[in-house]
Amino acid sequence: MKPVVLQAENITKQFPGVVALKDVSFDLRAAEIHGLCGENGAGKSTLIKLISGIYPYGSYEGDFFVHGQLAKFRSLAAAQRAGIAVIYQELALVNDMTVGENIFLGSEPRTPQGLIDWHKVYHEARVLLQKFNVEIDPSEPVAKLGMGQKQLIEIVKALSKNSNMLVLDEPTAALGEHEVLTLLDILRDLRNRGIASIYVSHKLDELFAVCDRITVLRDGGSVAAFNTEQATKAQIIKYMVGRELGELFPRRRSKPGAAALEVEGLSVTDGDFGQRVLTDISFSLHVGEVMGIGGLMGAGRTELLMHLFGAWGTRLSGSVRLNGRELRAQKPEEIIRRGMVLVSEDRRRYGLILDKTVGFNLSLSSLAKLTKNRLIDEGLEFQKNNHFFQSLRVKAPTLEAPVAKLSGGTQQKVVLGKALMTEPLVIFLDEPTRGIDVGAKLEIYEIVNQLTDAGKAVLLVSSELPELIGMSDRILVLHEGRIAGEFDRDEATQEILLAAAMGQAHVMLT
Amino acid sequence: MQTTKSFRDFSLVIALVVICAFFAIASPQFLSARNLSLLTTELSITATLAMGMLLVILPGNIDLSAGSGVGLLGGIASVLVFEHNWPAPLAMGAASVTGIFIWFCMGNLIVRQKIPAFIITLGGLLIFKGLFWLVIHNSTIPIVQGGRANLYSVLTTFYLPPLAGYTLATLIVIALVLEKLRARKARQAYGFGVEDGEVLFLKLFLAAQLIFLFVIVTNKFRGIPLSAGILGVIAFAVYVLTAHTPFGRYLYAIGGNEEAAVISGVPVEKVVVGSFTIMGAIVAITGFMQTSYSGTSTTTVGDLMELDAIAACVIGGVSLKGGRGTVLGVLFGALIMACLLNGMTLLAVSPEFKFIARGAVLSLAVWMDVRLAR
Repeated sequence: MKPVVLQAENITKQFPGVVALKDVSFDLRAAEIHGLCGENGAGKSTLIKLISGIYPYGSYEGDFFVHGQLAKFRSLAAAQRAGIAVIYQELALVNDMTVGENIFLGSEPRTPQGLIDWHKVYHEARVLLQKFNVEIDPSEPVAKLGMGQKQLIEIVKALSKNSNMLVLDEPTAALGEHEVLTLLDILRDLRNRGIASIYVSHKLDELFAVCDRITVLRDGGSVAAFNTEQATKAQIIKYMVGRELGELFPRRRSKPGAAALEVEGLSVTDGDFGQRVLTDISFSLHVGEVMGIGGLMGAGRTELLMHLFGAWGTRLSGSVRLNGRELRAQKPEEIIRRGMVLVSEDRRRYGLILDKTVGFNLSLSSLAKLTKNRLIDEGLEFQKNNHFFQSLRVKAPTLEAPVAKLSGGTQQKVVLGKALMTEPLVIFLDEPTRGIDVGAKLEIYEIVNQLTDAGKAVLLVSSELPELIGMSDRILVLHEGRIAGEFDRDEATQEILLAAAMGQAHVMLT
Repeated sequence: MQTTKSFRDFSLVIALVVICAFFAIASPQFLSARNLSLLTTELSITATLAMGMLLVILPGNIDLSAGSGVGLLGGIASVLVFEHNWPAPLAMGAASVTGIFIWFCMGNLIVRQKIPAFIITLGGLLIFKGLFWLVIHNSTIPIVQGGRANLYSVLTTFYLPPLAGYTLATLIVIALVLEKLRARKARQAYGFGVEDGEVLFLKLFLAAQLIFLFVIVTNKFRGIPLSAGILGVIAFAVYVLTAHTPFGRYLYAIGGNEEAAVISGVPVEKVVVGSFTIMGAIVAITGFMQTSYSGTSTTTVGDLMELDAIAACVIGGVSLKGGRGTVLGVLFGALIMACLLNGMTLLAVSPEFKFIARGAVLSLAVWMDVRLAR
């Protein structure tokens, strides 16, 4: 058997209030590709940050061994010296420099006079690129390359520093099909040269195509390690889910009424690079209904909500009808007036004016309706604020308390109150219970029930499968910007949803 | 938070008292009725511009072109009056429209082309300065025709008669008391905390005394300067705008967190363009007052006034990141700047050291701003 090059023993990593990894053991052998998969929040990123020294030695319990020796990485640089290189999702290349410059950035060969030896830079870059079968001209500016080529440059750059362990974090998230094949070929080639890789991905096809072994993480623990030849996709999915459905979800079904929001053939690119993010999305959401939207990180869930709300992306095609009428509005301010409102997943960034009071935030979206002779009618504003302050049971001393000092759950209620004060017909809730305590979660579920009882329609994005199943009447699953399946809550199980989210809807689950 | 705020307010008052005491001792003329009247006019000009600057800074922008704009718009009015024989009101109207249009365009460039306000207005600073010198052909243009006073020239030479001054002061005090009582009652009805009745009485009593003291002192010279009245009207309008309208709330919301403001349905682009458009009108008014005060349009009118206005804002507790600041604070800040400049002129401090002192005070204020923002 091949020797173990990197070993993690009983690693536990805690953050204030959360255990991100508990008692995880993992080993990487020479000349192997080791897949690492798990749901959102299973602890993949945390493990990578520990291996690469971003979370330094001493901030975790347990031990890492490199070639059998105890490793104490205090920084990224220390891990690099030990031969570990991490290729991140957000590429760390300087766009305005050439391929050669990027490969040797920070370690440029010098002439005897101390100047950069440009001939050597480009010569050695060419040699390296040829060695790894990458057909790119070293004098090409990086900005002109595609995502896949950039990824290869990153890998060559890492290998130029004599790394023998590569960590690839979702390397194919932004790649086209052809680029994925090239990357996988190069990884196999590197394996033949003795280089060990950790391949983090939730794309089962790729994991099965390239990995020798696969380790599954769930809720911060390593639950299983397979030899790929002996594993099946259904098995892996089964191990990835398995969170308890124990929590109480007090969803009361109400009778769906007329269509509130109809989306037809929606395709959207991100505004900056013109990259297609959503493709051919169609669904209709009815009054009195909660439609859940599931999918893995990067599947386009938040982008869908943000785009429908007029805050993101460029529409290529498709139409949106709100309450039976074509919705042509382009900006959030207009869309709120038409009766649609968004509660963002990131309340500190998109939800609150943090240094202002509870009252200031509650009424912010509704001020135009609270004026008399163009001045704010303070009496009316107070009545409205007080109504939501009390009915949502916002746990702040008064309306004049600054929101920055409130707990996460209370802040979330303020954002929710602000949205509800606009008297919307359709409410988008993006991860509405992220980072808040169980009591506040239950209160938010109850509010959702009251909204559908009152004839409103809710679009709910959640990464927690039990919550998604517990709170939705129907569930739409996105995979790489497309609808991968639509399920009634009665037929939805965690396995089925996850299989669809991973693009494996055809896998037979038994 | 509450303690920091009161400490800030308090520190402003202390700084003002210390500065005044220093100049009063160093130069007995500082507290003379004549000098205080002059000081009032200088304060009015700086503070008026600072009111506009407040509207621009609240949503997180800045206007470096205001000083050049003051010279240019004043210069346009002067040339129309002196060289083209336009009646003063018409000339000032034309210059105001020009100002409103230019600042409306700058606001649009900032929000639609996403160019930082710093860059756009830095360009404006240079362009308006050049245009100004072109308009007045690098010479000195009087603001009146044949020495006859007109609306333009009386901006800084007209004083309210004593009786009118007293009547105005009485009315303002009555309005202030009624408004405070109404607001207090409303707050009680909503169940908000209110300050102690005696504290309120004391505050109102102090405010009334200051208002009457101001009238008595200015009446000892010639009366309340017209420019002080202009400042009063503009400061009141900006106060209502910032504290009692959706537009004002939006200014604070954008400065506090622009992304959240967009998602909350705040019409960010309209509000920012609006703040710059109002700034255009205020730059025009300041331009008329400043040019009128110096008597002619010359190449140096308006020099560095944008920095005095920004300094007044920062000293008065306006955050340069946006989202924080009040009209009252800016008035205090402008008063501190005006006292410093006036006092140094009385003591015949050389221009070199005046610059250095202004810079030092500004740096000190920004440093305090950063410290307190933590």
